[in-house]
Order: sequence, then structure tokens, then C-alpha cells
Amino acid sequence: MTRRSLRSLPSLVFLTLAALASVFPLYFMVVSATNTSQDVLGSRLLPGGQLVDNLNKLLAAQDLGAAMWNSTLNAVGTTVLALLVCSIAGYGFEVFHSRNKDRLMGVLLLAMMIPFAATMIPLFRMFADFGLTSTTIAVILPAISVPFVILLFRQAARSFPHEIVEAARIDGLRELGIFLRIFIPTMRSTYAAAAVVIFMTAWNNFLWPKVILINEAFQTMPMLISNLTSGYVTDYGVLMLAVLLTSLPTMVLFLVLQRAFAQGITGAIK
Amino acid sequence: MRKKMTLASVAGVATITLALAACGGGDGSTGGDGGGGGEGDGSLTVWAWDPAFNVYAMNEAATIYQQDNPDVTVEVIETPWEDIQTKLTTLAQTGELEELPDIFLMQNNAFQKNLINYPELFTDITDSGIDFAEFPESVVAFSTTEGANYGVPFDNGAAVTALRTDVLAEAGYTIEDFTDITWDEFIANGEDILAQTGKPLLSGVAGESDLITMILQSTGGSLFDADGNPTISDNDALLQAIDVYTRLVESGLFVEVNSWDEYIGTFVNSNVAGTINGIWILGSIQTAEDQTGLWNITNLPSLEGVGEATNYSANGGSSWVVSSNADAELAEDFLGATFAGSTEFYDTILPSSGAIANWIPASESEVYAEPHPFFADQPVFQLAVEFGAQVPSVNTGAYYYEGRDAVSAAITNILNGADPADALAEAQATVEFAMQ
Repeated sequence: MTRRSLRSLPSLVFLTLAALASVFPLYFMVVSATNTSQDVLGSRLLPGGQLVDNLNKLLAAQDLGAAMWNSTLNAVGTTVLALLVCSIAGYGFEVFHSRNKDRLMGVLLLAMMIPFAATMIPLFRMFADFGLTSTTIAVILPAISVPFVILLFRQAARSFPHEIVEAARIDGLRELGIFLRIFIPTMRSTYAAAAVVIFMTAWNNFLWPKVILINEAFQTMPMLISNLTSGYVTDYGVLMLAVLLTSLPTMVLFLVLQRAFAQGITGAIK
Repeated sequence: MRKKMTLASVAGVATITLALAACGGGDGSTGGDGGGGGEGDGSLTVWAWDPAFNVYAMNEAATIYQQDNPDVTVEVIETPWEDIQTKLTTLAQTGELEELPDIFLMQNNAFQKNLINYPELFTDITDSGIDFAEFPESVVAFSTTEGANYGVPFDNGAAVTALRTDVLAEAGYTIEDFTDITWDEFIANGEDILAQTGKPLLSGVAGESDLITMILQSTGGSLFDADGNPTISDNDALLQAIDVYTRLVESGLFVEVNSWDEYIGTFVNSNVAGTINGIWILGSIQTAEDQTGLWNITNLPSLEGVGEATNYSANGGSSWVVSSNADAELAEDFLGATFAGSTEFYDTILPSSGAIANWIPASESEVYAEPHPFFADQPVFQLAVEFGAQVPSVNTGAYYYEGRDAVSAAITNILNGADPADALAEAQATVEFAMQ
């Protein structure tokens, strides 16, 4: 072993330990999904043979399929619309010039500071007046304009060469065309980063869907997990399986878009 | 240029509208019909939270009611208690009461708070024909204000001491040595068992006041007087209850853990030899199948020389509420014929769910007297109803949760060395501040 690699040994050990510590909760979740409730309470760290049993219990207790479908519909709907709205806004803020746009951006950023609990009741009243309680639209609408994502797109659009816009205009492309045919393809990695953030937030969203979706048929995955812990007796094996199933889609999405995500956060155009 | 921008934004809005319309497809028909209460069409919508327990009980009640009323349908929407509370608060504050179901279940501890803050959620069922004298007075008190009844008590929250007989036997004790005793005797026995077997008797979540409020209620004391004013400072029963708790913790008899799940783990994994809680804790105890036949239950130790000094108390429990949006006549008749009037119903739900009645006539049934194999053939259900009927009645008031939180904070300070009287005076001030 060379001296150099010896010197880096402590940091390697430290990093390995840190990596293990951060992966451990994930491991425990996966292992627990295959164990009985009593084993989970006893912190058993080896996989067990209860996976099928837990799945059967989960299916018997809750409408898993419906919850998965509802969560997917809400999250995909929110992601598509939020990407569209926020990227148009971010692009507009950067490409078009108006005296008040910085003031407007300020207001948007201020909106980021207001906790959701403060706006929940007026929001509920609005949607109840529209007759939209227990609808998918009611879950999606408040989530499609995300100040953080608008900011992300604005920052990304800053590095988008203005000359391209000018050239496209001279070539006769309309504004919408520039946005759809030039901006979107160039900013692919920013879109990927924003998609991960929005999808994750929408998928994990709990409070608002719980309040507005009164009808049980609209139950989402986080609501299903909450139901599993509401009784006097909790089956922790079943609970861990439900948590695992709920985490899978966001994990898969992140793994698929991982590289683009990192690029999108650090800057889209090289 | 400006024209182009307008065009672009119009196109954008049009896209979104189209997309939204697509997303909402098929939802329109159900829009606004979530609560579903009060339609007067022979259907009842119910919010309850435990599929193995109260949701199951409600569905069974529906089956029994349908024998005489075949046209009535009951739809139970599974909603965790915290979410029911969030929804009730939202609906009351926005005035959207038509979203309420016909019937919902409410934790007894939270009943007075909701009743006082949001009376518009409730229907007065005093004259519904339900005989409230058939329920323990201490339980009916939760859902009563100014002589009017707003709830039908459901599950029993009677407090029990559950102990591992094998551990007791190892140290030469039986369950009788823990029946009708005082806290001093409990601590003496417990220390002996701890010394001989190495097993503490109790556990609980650190910084929670469940055990202290159970001890307090066993003396007939509360954190509030009859007018709802806090009586946390200058409360002898509370001081003594805290003294018992401190002694339990300091002698190692009571293991403090950090979460509810860890608490369940302590007895399921045999780290402690017992627990004191509402009778509903038996469900969690029974998840440890390898401990079948090794448990017994008995009443609580009493706090000698204070107040009524009984061996009975309660923790938890819940009651059904007829909402202000209900088909009130149908809902009252339904609850009166099942939860407040059918031994057949309670006999049906008991064996499979362990849902123990507050309705006193139910305990006379043979099903309640049956020996329970997990608890070494004790008739635990009958005992629970007997215990429940002897619990002293106390006033919880609108700020019960705030009171409990303040006392919990005080306990943590006292265990860290603060003077009990000073810590409680601070708790009193905290609650008074919250009430302003």
C-alpha cells in the first residue's frame, strides 16, 4: 500500500461509515417488510419469510391498487402541469423585460415563506365554493405553481443564450415556438431536476389531500400509511411493507433521472 | 411583440385548461359529495379509524340494524383520528358543514374541546330515547355539557394493570398481591421483583403524562375544576401522583422510552413485566403470541389518603357523535338500537375485535364472562366493564390537551431536579396563557 493511500485511509473509513449509516434506515425498511410485527419491534436485522403474508394482510386491510392509482394520477398530473406552468413563468421572467418583474418575483419568493397551514382554510373554502371537494383537480391545482421551481427555471434560463432567441425570431419562429421547440429541448436536464422535485413533493403530499379528499375512494398512498397506524394495534411488518411500496416510485424516478438531476441543479448548459 | 406575448399566454392557459379538464374526467359526478351526511335517503355515512376495531364494530352494527331496517345502508369511511380532527376544524372554520358525515367517532379526551369550540358540529341527542344511565357516569361526562348529551359512548377506556405472571411467580408473587393495593405497596413489590428477576414492571413514553393523569383520575381529581379553570398548581393529588411517578422512574421500576412504538416493544420483547394503560392495550399485548397464558390483569394501585383514593381509572376511549349535518332521526335510532341497546351486537363484536363495551348491560352476557386463554383464562372483558363502572367522574374541560402537555413538560423538569411546586406553577401559567 502506498503512503498516499494510507493517508486517505481515515477519510475512507469515515466515508464508509457515513454511507452505511445513511443507507441503514433504507435497509431496515426493506428487511422489516419481510418480518412479523413482533420481529420488527425486536429490531430483527435479517430478512424473514413474511413478505407474502404481510402483502396479503395489507391487501386485505386496504385498497392498495386504488391508492397507488390515485397517488400516480395526482403526482403525474401535478408534475406535468407544474413543469409547464413553472417553466413558462421562469422563461418569461428571464426573456421578457418589464419594469415590475423583479417586484413580482419578490412577491413569489415571499409566497414561499407562508406555511401551508396558514392558507389551508381559505383554500378549502375556495374549493368547496367551486364544488371541487373530493376531486383530483383540487389536489393538483394548488400545487402547479411552485415558486422554488420557477426560480430554478429562471436561473437556468439565464444561461440560455439570448442570441438563439433573437435568431429564431428573425427566422420567423413565434414566441410559443421558441419556447416549445428551442427552450424545452435545450433545458432537458433542468426539466428532469424539476420533475424529480415536483413529483416527490406531490407523491408525498399528505395534509392537503387528506383535507380536500373526503371521499375514501380518493385515498392516496400516504393516507393509506396513516390509516395503518391509526388503530389500537399496529402491525409493523405490514406498515413497513406499505412504506416500502410508497417509497419505490420516487426512488425509481430518482435513479432514472439521477444524472440529469445533478446537471439540472448545477446548471443546464455547459 | 406584446401581441405575441398575449398569444403565447392564451395558448398556455388553453393547454392547462384542457389538461385539467382531462385530469378531472370522471370526477365531476362525485364532486362535492364527500361528506354525504344528511341526505335523508336512508343512508348513513360514518367516520371512524380502526379497521380491526371501531370500523369493524360499525359495520357489524349496520348488519344487525339492517335485520329490521333492510333499506338502510351504512358507509364507513376509514379516517385516522388526527385526520378527523383536522377535517372537523377545517369544516367548522369554513362553515362547510354539509361536508360532515352523519356520524363520526371522537376520542373522549378531545370531546369537551370540540364541543366547546365548535358546537355547530354536533346534534343534541339528550331526547333521542337513548338511556345514558346505562353507561358509566364518568364516560358520559366526556360528551355532556350543561346537562345536554352529545355522544354515545363506545369503547371502554378502563385502566388496567397487566402483569406477566411468570415473572411474578419467579419472585414469589401472584396477581392477588397486586390487586386492591396502594402505590406504596406496588413500589415495594416492584422493587423486590426487580431485585430478584431484573425485570422492571412498567414502561412508558418519556415526557407524556398518561400514567399521572390516570393516577389523578383514580382520586377523582383533574387538571381543571368544574368551571374549566386550571387547577394544576396547588393540587395535592397531582403533586402526589407526580411523586409516585418520580419514585417509579428513580427506582428503575418504570422504564422511560422515546416513542409509542418503543413502548409497545418493551413488553412485546419481554423487557418489562407489565404495563398500566387503558384496556385497549390488551390488543398490543396479544401480538406477542409466545407469551400466551403468561399475562393477568387487575385494577390500579390507589393513591392513599388523597381524594376518593379508588383503584379505578381510565385512559382513552371514544364516543359516537351525531353530526349537525346528519339525518338525525335515523342516526339516533341506529345508535340507540345497536351501540346503546343490543347485547347481540356487543356479543358479536367482542370475540373477534376485543371491542369492550361501555354499555353496562352488555357485561351481563355470557360472552363477556368467557375465560380468555391469552390471559390465563381470566374473564378479562367482564373485569374491564366492572372496572369501568367504578371510575370516578372528572371534568376534562376545553383545554385538557394543553393541560396534559403543560404537566408533561413539568414532569420532565421535575425529573431533571426542578422543585415540583415551582414546575407546576409554571405549568398553570402556561395553561392560563393558552386560555386567554
